[in-house]
Amino acid sequence: MNTFDVRELVLTYDGKAALQHVSMNIIPKQVTALIGPSGCGKSSLLRCLNRMNDLIDGCNVEGEILFHGENIYAKNYNVYELRTKVGMVFQKPSPFPMSIFDNVAYGPRCQGINDKKTLENIVKKALVDAALYDEVKERLKESAMALSGGQQQRLSIARTIAMQPEVILMDEPTSALDPIATGKIEELIFDLKKHYTIVIVTHNMQQAARISDYTAFFLMGNLVEFNTTEQIFRQPTQAKTEEYITGRFG
Amino acid sequence: MMSLVGVMVLALIMGFIINRGVGLLTWDLLIGDYHPTTYNLSLPTTESLGGFARPNDLDESAFFSQMWGLGLMDDVDFEGKAVVRVIYVDAQSPLQMMRDKNNLERVVGLFPGLALEKVIFSDLTIGLSRTKAENFIILFDTHEGINDLLAVSSGNGIRGAIITTGLLIGFALMIALPIGIFSAVYLHEFAPKNNAFIHTMRKMIDTLSGVPSIVYGLMGAAVFIPFTSRISKAEGGNLFSGALTLAVMVLPIIISATIDALRAVPDDYRKASLALGANHTQTTFRIVIKSAVPGIMSAVLLSVGRMIGESAALIYAVGTAIKDHIILTEKSASLAVFIWSVMAGEVPNFELACSVAIIIMMVVLFINVLIKLVARRFALLP
Ligand SMILES: Nc1ncnc2c1ncn2[C@@H]1O[C@H](COP(=O)(O)OP(=O)(O)OP(=O)(O)O)[C@@H](O)[C@H]1O
Ligand SMILES: [Mg+2]
Repeated sequence: MNTFDVRELVLTYDGKAALQHVSMNIIPKQVTALIGPSGCGKSSLLRCLNRMNDLIDGCNVEGEILFHGENIYAKNYNVYELRTKVGMVFQKPSPFPMSIFDNVAYGPRCQGINDKKTLENIVKKALVDAALYDEVKERLKESAMALSGGQQQRLSIARTIAMQPEVILMDEPTSALDPIATGKIEELIFDLKKHYTIVIVTHNMQQAARISDYTAFFLMGNLVEFNTTEQIFRQPTQAKTEEYITGRFG
Repeated sequence: MMSLVGVMVLALIMGFIINRGVGLLTWDLLIGDYHPTTYNLSLPTTESLGGFARPNDLDESAFFSQMWGLGLMDDVDFEGKAVVRVIYVDAQSPLQMMRDKNNLERVVGLFPGLALEKVIFSDLTIGLSRTKAENFIILFDTHEGINDLLAVSSGNGIRGAIITTGLLIGFALMIALPIGIFSAVYLHEFAPKNNAFIHTMRKMIDTLSGVPSIVYGLMGAAVFIPFTSRISKAEGGNLFSGALTLAVMVLPIIISATIDALRAVPDDYRKASLALGANHTQTTFRIVIKSAVPGIMSAVLLSVGRMIGESAALIYAVGTAIKDHIILTEKSASLAVFIWSVMAGEVPNFELACSVAIIIMMVVLFINVLIKLVARRFALLP
């Protein structure tokens, strides 16, 4: 069964369409990359998957998105629960102005977990899984603001996986990072996909080719092509896709 | 050029105030009573007379009685009248054992700072009053008992005004802080965004911070004095009505400063928190308000600064009578009103007024520095 089934999704901002009749599926324990030129609606789609679009005034969604067969846009669907299962890592790392430990423990605490021992275990495991533990284990009580950009982004990932979600959504998670920090995150994504379903937006073709199993190419709110990454990069069926991935686009 | 003139005028005023007031700035000023107390003491007989040595650090112009261990000096009070000041009483001096004439059980030793008005010695029917320190000492050294001693404490302390101000600010913050912070949080985080009513509310709050404080004072007189009189045994201005008046006065300051602080919290924090499955309330209280704490602290400091220097709003609500022993349900004068009161008397006490002005200015300066420091820390955070 697919993790997500997106069906005939139409998304508008103040009446202006940003996504038009998009249908695709997200396959469990795989990395799906969303690519396409700026403004084509990648972030908009990603935000639909955990309903972060709810926060945007004037954003309206039609069609349906099934998460394990259940429409997340149904009337009484529990959004907060959805977001504990579908985590999100943003382009700009945004640690909370509190300690490293408290950052990672924040999500579990909001779910009512307050036992010190339990939290310590969760935090440690999340930091280990996010490949950050060794760098910060001596200063868990210090402010997260003092970390480097790459460390902050891995902290954001740790914060997300502390919730033990099923899916991690990442919107250009490396675009604010240098090549070394980017490499670390890419390695991390490679490890994470054993346990998590990952959907990642990226502008970097090599990155999409390196880390993803499936790729979806968008253009002006339309899903042009969706296939295995291998197919897309080796034998795209659409001329537009080929133009874009070979850099002749524009 | 104009600004230079402005700075010079300001410097002149400050220099003048500091020059006049700095002389009185002592610890005794801060902890002393304002109203002079008259001591009527006596010590008819004593065994332990004589043999006291003049201390080395006693002022050159002071007179010392070796028999009583007492140092006196000619001085003037703030009105310029000559007085004889007690400046030293030996620890072993029999004067330490003097008793209250009205209640002979009570031992009230003579202490430095008192002005000696009149002394009637045991073997003398005629007393000595309003004379020079030297004359007093001559008589002290030739007499062995005191029937009657009249001494007056100098007064002019501002302890009462400090306590009044502290209580007013404390109570006002206790009222205004929770209300102000919750209003700001509601207006900024929970209220519907495009609502005309909310919009008007905010505009009104902004306008309220510009209302002259005498208007708040009138409101205090019209609303809070009757209100507090009804629920307590107050019969006019009192500290509660004053605190309520101040609370209403600083409420707009606290609300707008808190809203500014909330506005400065990056939206990324809210998004990140919600993306972790936290709900709106959790996000607001665990992330947003927490990140806004430095801003809220400056809001508090800002309002404290405003309240310290406030006089007009308090003249009716707490009154202008300077008190030494503060009773919550009675009138008293805060620091700023104190200045007005000492200048309004028959003999304006300019030095004292300037001293209090210096104190207020120093506190306000200190608060401004604190606000800067808090703001600097705040800027470092995100
Ligand atoms: N909050 C918003 N309000 C109004 N319009 C928006 C909003 N966010 C995005 N849009 C519009 O929706 C369209 C798709 O935007 P989206 O951010 O999804 O693109 P994107 O593919 O993520 O672009 P980029 O690669 O630059 O991040 C754009 O035309 C954009 O202007
Ligand atoms: Mg985007």
